[in-house]
Amino acid sequence: MSAAIVGLGMTEMGKVFGRTATDFAVEAIGRAAADAGLGLADIDGLYVNPGVKNDTDLRLQSTLQMRNTRLLATIQGFGSSAGQMVQYAALAIEAGMADVVACVYADAPLKEGKRAGASYPGQARAMEGVGSLPFAAGLKAAPERYAVAARRHMEAYGTTSEQLGAVAVAARQWAAMNPAAQMREPITLEDHQSSRMIADPLRLLDCCLVSNGAVAIIVTSAERAATLKQPPVHVWGWGQGHPGYVNRRGSEFGLVTGAAQSGADALKMAGVGVDEIGVRELYDCFTYTTLVTLEDYGFCAKGEGGEFVASGAIAPGGSHPTNTGGGELSSYYMWGMTPLSEAVIQARGQGGERQVPDHDLVMVSGNGGVLDFHSTLILSPHRKTR
Amino acid sequence: MSLAPVVRDDFSAPFFEALAEGRLLLRYSLSSGEWSEPAARFCSLTQADDLEWREASGRGALVSWTVKPGRPVDDRPAADAVIGVVETEEGPWLTLLLPDADVALLRVGAPVEVAFVQPEGSEHLPVGVLRS
Repeated sequence: MSAAIVGLGMTEMGKVFGRTATDFAVEAIGRAAADAGLGLADIDGLYVNPGVKNDTDLRLQSTLQMRNTRLLATIQGFGSSAGQMVQYAALAIEAGMADVVACVYADAPLKEGKRAGASYPGQARAMEGVGSLPFAAGLKAAPERYAVAARRHMEAYGTTSEQLGAVAVAARQWAAMNPAAQMREPITLEDHQSSRMIADPLRLLDCCLVSNGAVAIIVTSAERAATLKQPPVHVWGWGQGHPGYVNRRGSEFGLVTGAAQSGADALKMAGVGVDEIGVRELYDCFTYTTLVTLEDYGFCAKGEGGEFVASGAIAPGGSHPTNTGGGELSSYYMWGMTPLSEAVIQARGQGGERQVPDHDLVMVSGNGGVLDFHSTLILSPHRKTR
Repeated sequence: MSLAPVVRDDFSAPFFEALAEGRLLLRYSLSSGEWSEPAARFCSLTQADDLEWREASGRGALVSWTVKPGRPVDDRPAADAVIGVVETEEGPWLTLLLPDADVALLRVGAPVEVAFVQPEGSEHLPVGVLRS
């Protein structure tokens, strides 16, 4: 496989009001094309990933006045979508279906004057039938559903709230060095411990941000990438893992996620060992998600994620730099485009003061649902040699 | 925090009929001899499509849980909501509100018994009672 990411476009992200998801998407695609040194007319493939509000779609093609579209689809794998879009773009390019594929995520859930929590009310499901029993019992939104997963991990392995806090503190330390981050004020473990309880054991500072905005990337062949403006970011390997948890005895829910399958497949395809990865950009909807993904990818043993993050390994200066832009916890919440955008920046060596010196191999995760859907990418500034 | 109302559909009618009589039904596969959760259309172990409703013991043990802080309304304090994932004796997991649960008793394996309540405008719904 010889595809590369050659363009990255990000809009202003966060509490940006008065613009629709489509407005953001159009801007991000334009920026990504310009970043690559391409024009909109060069794009002949488009994948659209609408966010939770689901208010942008294939009509982006006509909004952009695209006339030579050979590949067009909406991709919906929730938080795993960004990684999936790159995978399908690489396959399509390899198959000759398209030459230059734009992949975009856009959403505008925040409304002026409304709480962030109101952006995801979770009441969309009809309260009819047995499928709505968990909702009726109170598991309505993401925090309480992830709380049940985190609690299971804590009880099984002794993971503590302070260890989750270490993930939040590290993310904020990275965000302080990211001009695009929404939250750059330093926080301490004490701040984490005293932050409001959202759904025990998850506190406010265990939870990601909510952001309006869009991120787009451009994928093309490695050959064409070599002729473009930016240093290419080559796609070495990928995987997906969708565990299909069943609600019954023996379920690994909360203990092992789709990252185990997806990460192993991606490493195998890339032909690299996990110890060779220099940078980790992991989907961090909650602090716990970072921790369990580190375990499932094999950066530490199962059950030792708590001690691993508390050791400072993932923070600036640590042995395993992770979520170097501040992640969804502190920078911006663009689903899987949050880790993917920072991965592109790091792989290019454009991280400025937060640049990780060893950026030859970057591992990127995407996670959707409640640990239900997972994608992985392994990226490198070098053409694949093995 | 109270239960949100749920209404029946064709599939769930026997389940809610039984709840109103104080009985918990789960899905049972004749071919595999395994139990599945109430929402299952296929056996959660073998994917067999021969599930039928069958009465379960109504006893289980706590697998995991969360505690959602109550949101005060008009300065009136609201009770926290304890929501547990309960593994029934038969194997399937149920997500249950544990009304008035003593958080000191929350631990993996804590015995739970299913009880039945009927919120306004709703079918009878299962809840969990922690046993010490």
